[in-house]
Amino acid sequence: MFLMSFGTFRERWELFVGAILSVAVGAALVQASTLVLVATGSPRIPPGLSRKAEDGVREGFVGAATVMGMTAFLAVFLAVFVVGSTFAFTVAQRRRDLALLRLTGGSRGQVRVLLLSESLLLGVVGSAVGVPLGVVAKYAHTRLLVGIGLLPEGFHAPWRLWAVVVAAVVGVGVALAGVFTASLRAARIRPLEALRETGAAARVMTASRWLVGLSFAACTIAMVVWARGANLIGAMMAALGISLCGAVAMSLLSPLVVPFTAWLCGVLAPTGTLVGLAVAELRDGVRRSAATASPLIVLVSLLLGLAGTFGSLAAAGGEEAQRSVDAQLVVDSTGEEAERLAGVEGVAVASRQNAVDVTITVETTRGGRVTTRDYYAGIVAVDAVDYARTHVVTPSFGSLEALTGDAVITGPARHADRIEAGRVLAVDAGGRSSRLTVVGGLPETLETGDSFLVPRRALPREVWAGAPTETVVRVAPGQDPDVVAERIGRAGFDRVRTVADWAVARAETAQDGNVKILTVLMGLAGLYALMAVVNAVVVAGTERRRAFAVARVTGLTRAQVVRTAVVEAVAVAVVGVGCGCVVAGAGLIGIGGAVRRAIGVTVVAVPWTLLVVVALGSVVVVAVTSAITAVVATRRPPVSLVAARE
Amino acid sequence: MSRDQHRAAGVRSGTPFAARSAVELRRVTRVFGSGNAGVAALDDVSLSCPTGSWTAIMGPSGSGKSTLLHCAAGLDRVTRGQVLLAGNDITAAPDDVLTALRRHTIGFVFQGFNLIGSLTAEQNVAFPAKLAGARVSRDEVRRVLAGVGLADRARHRPRELSGGQQQRVALARAMLSRPAVLFADEPTGALDSGSARTVLELLRTMVTAAGQSVVMVTHDPAVAARADAVVFLADGRIVDRVDAPTVRDVAERLARWEG
Repeated sequence: MFLMSFGTFRERWELFVGAILSVAVGAALVQASTLVLVATGSPRIPPGLSRKAEDGVREGFVGAATVMGMTAFLAVFLAVFVVGSTFAFTVAQRRRDLALLRLTGGSRGQVRVLLLSESLLLGVVGSAVGVPLGVVAKYAHTRLLVGIGLLPEGFHAPWRLWAVVVAAVVGVGVALAGVFTASLRAARIRPLEALRETGAAARVMTASRWLVGLSFAACTIAMVVWARGANLIGAMMAALGISLCGAVAMSLLSPLVVPFTAWLCGVLAPTGTLVGLAVAELRDGVRRSAATASPLIVLVSLLLGLAGTFGSLAAAGGEEAQRSVDAQLVVDSTGEEAERLAGVEGVAVASRQNAVDVTITVETTRGGRVTTRDYYAGIVAVDAVDYARTHVVTPSFGSLEALTGDAVITGPARHADRIEAGRVLAVDAGGRSSRLTVVGGLPETLETGDSFLVPRRALPREVWAGAPTETVVRVAPGQDPDVVAERIGRAGFDRVRTVADWAVARAETAQDGNVKILTVLMGLAGLYALMAVVNAVVVAGTERRRAFAVARVTGLTRAQVVRTAVVEAVAVAVVGVGCGCVVAGAGLIGIGGAVRRAIGVTVVAVPWTLLVVVALGSVVVVAVTSAITAVVATRRPPVSLVAARE
Repeated sequence: MSRDQHRAAGVRSGTPFAARSAVELRRVTRVFGSGNAGVAALDDVSLSCPTGSWTAIMGPSGSGKSTLLHCAAGLDRVTRGQVLLAGNDITAAPDDVLTALRRHTIGFVFQGFNLIGSLTAEQNVAFPAKLAGARVSRDEVRRVLAGVGLADRARHRPRELSGGQQQRVALARAMLSRPAVLFADEPTGALDSGSARTVLELLRTMVTAAGQSVVMVTHDPAVAARADAVVFLADGRIVDRVDAPTVRDVAERLARWEG
């Protein structure tokens, strides 16, 4: 049996190249991500950094770990998906061979064993390729993470022997998991099918396909509904779930869309003979079309879904920031310089917000054990009255007016910590210790926001004088904000922005990390989908040598055959992109609902540029690959193929 | 299980001892589709093919020839009636019993050769035996291949062989396990007359020298005339039968039923 697996493997290697590559890349990515993930577990902080910078480095390590975890997860998902769809396709393509196996006395178990040992072989080869590839991937990961600033310069993840085991387990596991359904399907092939030219078993939408497809669709819809009522973290998780689940559902149900597309093609180009042939091929080869469309669906739904989610969150964060401020201008300076702003003509209120370098220590008692945590970042010194006049914010408890003397208000970032009113926190400001009482707390916002607001008068002058300061300026009634902005500029302030600009920039900074993570993941998903698409197109084209030959014998020129194949492939690409957009749209509906629940307005960012790039890219890749495959497949004179039989 | 053991199994399970019949169909009906739209491809067909004989089945297109062959070989289920194969009632046999039958008791030869493209000629020949878990010596495989005149083609893959050679590989495959019954569907349909003659001679040797039975579907009177008996099928029913036929007998009757 293994001999036969090996024989099939050697004979039909082009069926397996894509699957081997995806297993290899999957194994390599998981291996590399685990190595980096483990290395980030014991962060080496470069010496000589300030406490704030150290915190930043630590946060970067956590971010890097998140990216690596997501990468490993996504790699496994995509590899199983690609191997699964490859094998489902090869089983369909090899129906006659497998039926022949049954005819010559092979049992159902032996057919299963055949496919499983094929995939075992594939897994072993894939892992073997994946191990050296993993070393490359590790360097790529490290450089990428250092490049986007999540890891410090000089970070090094040592290679370990267990990584080989990880790669092997992942490679073989992914291959076996991917082939499992296909092997069950293959075992149901009846021996009689070996005797029929095409086989009546060309039914694509089997009961199990319906069942699994519809359950995934139901899951997706349930997640959309749930996300609309969820908080934003929940909605973000749901968005990932919607992308993955929806992609599986869509690829299972995509055969239903193919006839419709065929009809649409016919309507758009009713007179073209070649288009007519392509439409017929499209209808006839529903399974082939679905195999090509499904990696595209995954690609589009993941890319657009995630980009749309993060984009919408950023946009919503900006919207919220803008709504939280009742002022027109924001000025950046030091604390000392900002003192002069209130004196500029036309300024009604100038709320100075100094990002001061102090330490606030919070003690928490959990289960009888006392833990302390120091905060260095996000501590802002304000003047309570000015702050209240320029900000539209209702504290979740206490009041802004109470922020005088030895008081402190917890910011949005600490909302989840539930630090109650009346708690006394230790503060270390420039070497001087003091104690502040919590008198209020601000509600959570979409952006992380500040940690603590402290009264400026509670701090020595030297602590806030040099601190980076944002001053929110409300202009006097009847004054033109632009004119006031100009006056502030003339007074020596070179960074004056409108509140709208400030909100957008702030949201972009807040989403910066996410965008970087997203970029990494998108690149990964794109690479995978590309491999899968090319694989599906090549397999489909190679298996159609005879059909191409028949078309040529019937009177088509070689160029016409190639053109027909390209038209068909492009139509399939459109199906894939379209279905993917539906999934991405579902994700946006979910996130839109969650945003509405959080800030009262629906803010949705549709990543139009990305959509256009992905759509055009997919169509071009599919068209070029199918053209090349068709050219190669029609290289031999048609008569030799039409006459040849095995 | 050997052929004899299968027969013995038939006796033990209480079915009538069917040593005289390699294949027996009892009032078999096979309906495709359901309800009023159903079409009876076989309509109350009874047929017995004696052990060590060669039976040809003829009839116009759509007369049910292939369906009859498929039902007799256990590849297709009958709607009504009973099918006995080498003494075993296979009418409702589960898949594993049918698989075992395919391994030990029956063999197939078809117009489309049905060789496994990735295996060489000798691997193809030895394959069913290996599936059955039997040890097959290379010498034996070579001997069988030599018997069909392909001693020098053992290492070739199907696509490197001519149609006649491929069909002889398929025959060698069927001969290696010495099946009690060989089912053949247009075995010479895709062959030139020279290759066809070789294949038919090999079939005759199997019947006379080894005592095996052959059930063959064909539309060629010259091929059918090589059989011991010819059965004519029209509209799913057996309409005629000729024993020890001549080409002329066959052609005349065929013309009558096709007309």
